[in-house]
Amino acid sequence: MRSADYVIKRVLFAVVTVFVAVTLNFVLFRAVPGDAVSALRCRACTQQFKEAERRELGLDKPLVAQYWLYVEGLLHGNMGSSLRTEQPVLGELWVPIANTMPMVILGTLFSIVIGILVGVTSAWRRDTLLDKTGLYTALGFYSMPTQWLGLLMVFFVAGAIHLPTSGIRDPTLGLLTHASTWAVIVDRLRHMALPSITLGLSLYGEYALITRSAMLETLGEDYVLTARAKGLRNLPIVWAHGFRNALLPIITLVALSLGTIIAGAITVEYVFSYPGIGLATVEAIDQRDWPVLQAIFLLLTLSVIVFNLVADLLYVKLDPRVVDQ
Amino acid sequence: MIRPMRMATMVVALAVLAAGCSGKKAVTTPSSSGSAAVKKGGILRIGTTSAIDSLNPYNYIETQATNAMIMIYPQLVQYAHGPDGFTIVGDFADSWSTSTDGKDLTFKLKPNAKWSDGQALTADDAAWTINTTVKYQNGPTAEMASALTHVKSADASDASTLVIHYDAPVGNALAQLEQLWILPRHVWEPLIGTNGHDLKTFHPEQHLPMVVGGAYSVKQYEKKGTTEFIPNPNFYGPKSYAEAVTLTYYTNSDSMIADLEHGQLDWVDQVPFNAVNPLTKDTSIVIDKVPGSETTNITWNSNPRKLKNRELLDPQVKKALSMCVDRDQIISVVFSGYASKVESLVGDISPLENPNLGPLQHDCAGGNATLDQLGYTKGSDGIRVVPATTGQYAQPAHPMSYEIVTPTTTDFNVDREFDIVKQGFAAAGVKVTQKVGGDSTASYALETDDNCDASTSTGYAHFDIAMWDWAGYIDPDFMLSVVTKGQWCSWSDTGWDNPAYDKLYDQQGATVDPEARKQIVYQMQQMIYDNWLYTQLINEQYIDAHSKTWIGIDADLNAYAKTYYTAVHQTG
Amino acid sequence: MNPTPPTASHQDAAVAIPATVTQPRFRFLRSPAIRRPATVIGLAMLLFFVLVAIFASRLEPFNPNVKSGAIYAPPSSHHLLGTDDAGADMLSLLIAGSRVSLIVGFAAALVAILIGGAVGLLSGFFGGRIDSILMRITDYVLVIPDIPLMIIVAALFGRHLLNIIIIIGAIYWTSTARLVRAQVKSVRERTYVKRVRAVGAGNSRLIGRHILPQVAPLLIANTVLMVAVAIFAETYITFLGLGDPSLISWGKLIENSFRGDATLNGAWWAIVAPGVCVTLVVLACTMVGQSMEDALNPRLRVGHLSVRRFRLRSIPADVE
Repeated sequence: MRSADYVIKRVLFAVVTVFVAVTLNFVLFRAVPGDAVSALRCRACTQQFKEAERRELGLDKPLVAQYWLYVEGLLHGNMGSSLRTEQPVLGELWVPIANTMPMVILGTLFSIVIGILVGVTSAWRRDTLLDKTGLYTALGFYSMPTQWLGLLMVFFVAGAIHLPTSGIRDPTLGLLTHASTWAVIVDRLRHMALPSITLGLSLYGEYALITRSAMLETLGEDYVLTARAKGLRNLPIVWAHGFRNALLPIITLVALSLGTIIAGAITVEYVFSYPGIGLATVEAIDQRDWPVLQAIFLLLTLSVIVFNLVADLLYVKLDPRVVDQ
Repeated sequence: MIRPMRMATMVVALAVLAAGCSGKKAVTTPSSSGSAAVKKGGILRIGTTSAIDSLNPYNYIETQATNAMIMIYPQLVQYAHGPDGFTIVGDFADSWSTSTDGKDLTFKLKPNAKWSDGQALTADDAAWTINTTVKYQNGPTAEMASALTHVKSADASDASTLVIHYDAPVGNALAQLEQLWILPRHVWEPLIGTNGHDLKTFHPEQHLPMVVGGAYSVKQYEKKGTTEFIPNPNFYGPKSYAEAVTLTYYTNSDSMIADLEHGQLDWVDQVPFNAVNPLTKDTSIVIDKVPGSETTNITWNSNPRKLKNRELLDPQVKKALSMCVDRDQIISVVFSGYASKVESLVGDISPLENPNLGPLQHDCAGGNATLDQLGYTKGSDGIRVVPATTGQYAQPAHPMSYEIVTPTTTDFNVDREFDIVKQGFAAAGVKVTQKVGGDSTASYALETDDNCDASTSTGYAHFDIAMWDWAGYIDPDFMLSVVTKGQWCSWSDTGWDNPAYDKLYDQQGATVDPEARKQIVYQMQQMIYDNWLYTQLINEQYIDAHSKTWIGIDADLNAYAKTYYTAVHQTG
Repeated sequence: MNPTPPTASHQDAAVAIPATVTQPRFRFLRSPAIRRPATVIGLAMLLFFVLVAIFASRLEPFNPNVKSGAIYAPPSSHHLLGTDDAGADMLSLLIAGSRVSLIVGFAAALVAILIGGAVGLLSGFFGGRIDSILMRITDYVLVIPDIPLMIIVAALFGRHLLNIIIIIGAIYWTSTARLVRAQVKSVRERTYVKRVRAVGAGNSRLIGRHILPQVAPLLIANTVLMVAVAIFAETYITFLGLGDPSLISWGKLIENSFRGDATLNGAWWAIVAPGVCVTLVVLACTMVGQSMEDALNPRLRVGHLSVRRFRLRSIPADVE
């Protein structure tokens, strides 16, 4: 199989998956008893009024027709309106998404750096105390519920190093006097610190373990042995040969997990009152605001699909052998 | 929109005022603690766990929104709080008088007032707001129309004279008007369109800077973040001492209290019950406790047409079960001791609370005896069984096993309260399970059913029991209304349908003599109590905490007056 | 170096699986991987928690449902682990919680294994169109983000224990399906199975007598890993207020400490204890399940289970 064919196949798969996700999204939310209109409650909500609303939203049409209406709406970027604010959902979600992204990216970077350092060190010092300590610490963090790790942070860490445990910015910053860009950035980073670290700690174990096992495989291979025979010292070998080759599984894993990390950040945001997509989810659940929940779910699914595709394409770029399979 | 916390303040009161005497100038000095020198300036940083959900008076739910709207919109009248309790004073209105037939209220407004954008703020804005609200009261403006019952129209005879025409005398007209927010006509009029729909969907907070007439304008709005209020230089009344007020929303009260202790916040305007005790140890913090407006209850579906479990319509059964509930334990576990037992729906905040009800005793043996006597014998699993009945609402024999709906948006831990009620009912041989209903709206939908329609008496057919809270008002009118048929599918959460009671309700609304009205109001509370529409559990205390560096805070005024923010200042 | 390709559709992580079938069924128990100290410790921890859960009602020093001390009383000789925000004994709560958490874990794992096992068996055994359709479905399910789906289903269909079990089970069956399918395929190719077929044995007999016993050890290993995933997922759903309100689980205790302002009250015992239990059980399951899989198939190492779950996919091996 040529690599162009492979790429086409992957893209096609992603497109079909999007379609499946959209369908699932439609079906799930139609399976709930009642509909958007029955959730409306107001003094003027007579039966006639509700019927009129149903007609306006197309809820009186057969399911198949509603499905096409939904798909058509999505194609035009219309994800419906929030039941609570009556504003377009996408507009409501824009700010939370923009808030979440930097925090998640920071957390992921943190976890990648720590993960790779621990993984490489472990492989390099295989079967030593250092290796074991690194491994079990990683495994320990990996086994902790994220929200619990967050609570521990609030209890044991926040007070000790005076980092904010709530919100996204200092409410008084720039209120009466102009705050410099630098001050704003520092303030944002301070507020992102604890949520990002929590997220990073809960993720790094996986990266550490995968790095370690990829490294061990590489270190066992012939050319590393050759290099070693040539008398290169240990550490340069590890970096120059081992790590470069271990990059492939690490990169694909990172790309794969990116799509799901955002979903994983939901409880972290909840613990730290961080006004991102996770907090928006909790709020939508509480208010039974189905269109918002539906849109969040679709966006999260899309992000997974996109990052999967990226991982696939990276993979073929990095290791053309995969195409032959 | 239901059972908001301390929502739009009270309907009110004080029939004296309603009788038409003349108002006096707004009292603006709060009962401030001590006589420390007033120091202007500084940013007053407030933390809250209740969000400002909207700044549109036609579409909001939360208390915090009420508070914000009081700060930014002109009102005709407001409450003040002094040694004698609450009184109504002028805000944008300086004085008022009632016509001899009681159907016209004339207000003299502050002259030469301006909106924050420089446009004139006159009686015309007030008249427009009233007329528009009345015009669309069965649709988009229903929310604020509750402040205008029996209002026909309003007109501005000159820039500072407003006349409101009623179709009948209203006992508590001023107290109702306290909930009327005057909107800038030049901003809102274009929204009317063909049916006024946009009046409800408009989000003024998304069009900053907002055009305001009150003490503050909003510089930044973040529903789940920080909202910044800065003093409105054109405000007609006493200006804010603080240079700015920020209100920051927290989902996590731990962080909020920690920020208060670390000096990141100056004031927490409602301290969660679990947080009070640890805070008392901090000497740099002042804690104020005032009687709260909220009462918690067990709500019984009392719709006479209810389909299942009709034994729960029997007041004896409801009373017997209630006797097994340990309210002292609720007070200590759920409210850390900061609550007291209450018997009447109108709550301790109302001066017209009937003191002769009950009180309900914790006497589970007595409760069990009643149930035994009624023939609900215990099955082998210890759960009582109701024998089969015949007639129009025939039902087969069935165990006394019910679902209790609980909302998620309470300011106390309703799960804990449920656990205690569940244990009490279990001691009476009754099994209950918790059905979590979601936020207020969602939970309310479970009570009323989707197809609720008062005109055909449809709805309230399925739910049995709920546990919730009501935020009462100083004037009992609103609380007394929630069990009328007129509130079906709106505020009614019991589905009760009792024409005799409804008649009394109308009667008290039109009774101008305070003593006569009091007697009717007492009688109504007795009816609610005797029919066990609710099992009243406790009356919360309202607790706020602030740094010692700020004074002039009067916890009683939360969601009642502009001075709640404006009068607060740093110590000299 | 040739790690398993990352996505669902690189047909099969499992292609790389060699025929473990050449081993007698339980020989893996003698593998060095099974005798690592980590495995033994993991097994001991797991056994401990299972026993606690079984004898929960006898071990609880206090009734966990009622107030037995002051609110947030610190640990003392009376209340070994202190009390929570309702004054209930923390130790009793943990013991009671172990029962619900483990029930959720095992039951959800069972659901996942049943679905995954069935799909894998059908797919591997029949091959052809059935195989490609089932595997395609598996591919799609793999891409749906698990946590949001759990949240939504729990929010839409109610907060009951059974719902939670079914949701978790119904999301995590994919890895089982792929493992079982690969295993079945290789078993099927073995000559004796071909011979049995030639003799005229029915499909059900073939599956029941010859294939199921062969894949059973792998299923067990998978179940153990799945228990960890399910317990973990339960704490997650519960923390967002979507847990069963009438039951005490470890997830619920974590939630209570958050909602009950334990931090503010300095009640570290109420925060720390339930999380430690979850972490230990998850760790134990991971170590045991991993060792079993390593023993069964030493080459199945890197990311052989789904690598796309946010948390708690099977851990890359090499924890020795």
